[in-house]
Amino acid sequence: MAGRVCCGLIPHLELARRPELTGAPAVVGGGDGRVLAASAEAMTAGVRPGLTLRQAEALCPAAAIVDADPVATSRLAERVAAQLYDLAPEVEVRLDGRAWLDLTGLPLPGRAIAAARRCLRAAAGVEPRLGLAAGPFAAALAAARARPGRLLQVEDVPAFLSPLPVAELDLDAEQLERLDLLGLRTLGAVAALGPRQLESQLGKAGRIAALLARGEEPLPLTPWRPLLVPGARCQLEPPVDDREALLFVARGLCGDLAGELGDKGAGARKVRVRLGGEGAPEESRESVVRHPLSSAAELFGLVSSWLREWRPAAPVTEVTVEVPELEAAGRRQLRLWMGGDGSAEEVRAALERLQDRHGVEVALAVRRALGTSPLAGQRHLLVPA
Amino acid sequence: MPREKLQHAIGAIHVRFGGHALVHAARLPAARPWPTGLPAVDRLSGIGGLPRGRVSVLQGALGAGKLSLALAVLATATREHAHAVVIDRRRRRFDPWIPDRMGADLGALTVVRPPTPAVAGEAAVALARAGAGFALVLEELPEPALGPLESAAARSGSIVLVVAGGGERALAHASSLTLELELLGWEPARGRLAGPRSVLRCVKNKLAAPGAEAELVLRYPRGPRLPAAEWPREVERTPAVVVEPWPGASAAV
Repeated sequence: MAGRVCCGLIPHLELARRPELTGAPAVVGGGDGRVLAASAEAMTAGVRPGLTLRQAEALCPAAAIVDADPVATSRLAERVAAQLYDLAPEVEVRLDGRAWLDLTGLPLPGRAIAAARRCLRAAAGVEPRLGLAAGPFAAALAAARARPGRLLQVEDVPAFLSPLPVAELDLDAEQLERLDLLGLRTLGAVAALGPRQLESQLGKAGRIAALLARGEEPLPLTPWRPLLVPGARCQLEPPVDDREALLFVARGLCGDLAGELGDKGAGARKVRVRLGGEGAPEESRESVVRHPLSSAAELFGLVSSWLREWRPAAPVTEVTVEVPELEAAGRRQLRLWMGGDGSAEEVRAALERLQDRHGVEVALAVRRALGTSPLAGQRHLLVPA
Repeated sequence: MPREKLQHAIGAIHVRFGGHALVHAARLPAARPWPTGLPAVDRLSGIGGLPRGRVSVLQGALGAGKLSLALAVLATATREHAHAVVIDRRRRRFDPWIPDRMGADLGALTVVRPPTPAVAGEAAVALARAGAGFALVLEELPEPALGPLESAAARSGSIVLVVAGGGERALAHASSLTLELELLGWEPARGRLAGPRSVLRCVKNKLAAPGAEAELVLRYPRGPRLPAAEWPREVERTPAVVVEPWPGASAAV
């Protein structure tokens, strides 16, 4: 197998996340009043990204025009990327509907491709087109020429690219016009000219274009990476507004996070919970804890107390529990004493959490003062525990 | 086939809610008592002490002596547990002086003063979940906190004793052991009020037979320190005098 990068092509994620628009002419309008994405049916009528919405309406009066939701679309991209990340260590998902997997080193690339197809089909509701080539550029072009649900595997990349038009290069209109004036209308012609010559005409973009046309793939993938801070995240589809369901999800996330912390031998000094809402800005709460939290019960104790009072502005589509600040917790082997009074450390941690949330006056220790005083308040002092 | 379906359903419950959610009756752990050191309380519980991992309730009318009895239990608990906690929202109700007079270890005692009932519930659940040995709750807890409190105590084995006026249906439902104090009268000593004379009755018991009762004299602490166990003094109940009128049926006075 010559190619090691697989590209899956689905509609723009703004369209993919709206399954009700599948099969109908639809136009997604960006914030600037221009077309951000258009369905295949609208494209057939001549609608192209970049046109004004008025032009799009004139070209395709039957098209449904919807507003873009960048937050929801990014969330979908994150979800797809997270699923693909389970298949290959290097993946990239773009909002325009292109997703790449670097299959280098995978023992069963065929199985990864099949799983990626299922993942993309589930995300978009339509069969993805798949391309396999030596690099991301050629793989994307192969995918664009594949039939839905099929994989187009390119062995000889230069030969495959040679007849394709220069419009496939990521160049602006002025640069494309310049190539046209130079008589360079196919990638083969651009490849024959060479990168240095084209760089002198178009600058750095020309050099990259020439290398791409030769199949040398100068632009590597920008790999998606999971959260850098230890955290656990769950996408909720459909959105959830039931508190018990949120608590159930949070309990699972705290369990996952506690396992991760246990592997690192760390405890959380800071805990943050983020709730993504449907069509609403993200809400978050965070707290610095005096006593590092390491067990699932400790984490869930804090998180659940927030969730029980939380009134999200909209049904929740994503729950994230993060611990941005860690501390070594090697000495805290609380589980050794569970069930006995050795859990005193956990009790102290619980009291400190109460003080963190409701003030130090909420938990008090008793000290003897004037034992013989007739006034009750003078006989003992209550000081913050 | 129905057996397979049942096993499948049990497996699903275990996966979703954990192994504690559904346990075969034969595998349920036996009740674990914590002897309070107060013979009357231990005897009425039917298992030899307050049940660990359960919510117990001490209820009664105003002045019946329920707070005094609870503080006697607390004094014992501070000596036997690393952490004893009092949750007291109304700030003047709990005075550490009384358990101190009964020999409590104040170093093991923490007073939690939550600003609202909801925080009181949160604190009770958090401390029970963390495994506080003994928690004395002097306030009514909000109903939504009672379920989590029961399960948290069951997992950690904490002893939770709630002092209540009586009549709270949700609390009565959550309780595994409910002891009720009824004021009989006041005990004088050398011309002064020594304390209430009350009947302690077991009105609910999930772990043994309810219905037992004892008569106690709860002397207010004065003078030298007194061990908590000797402080609520159980008195021998005077048998009812049977009056036999003539002619007619007998009646008890």
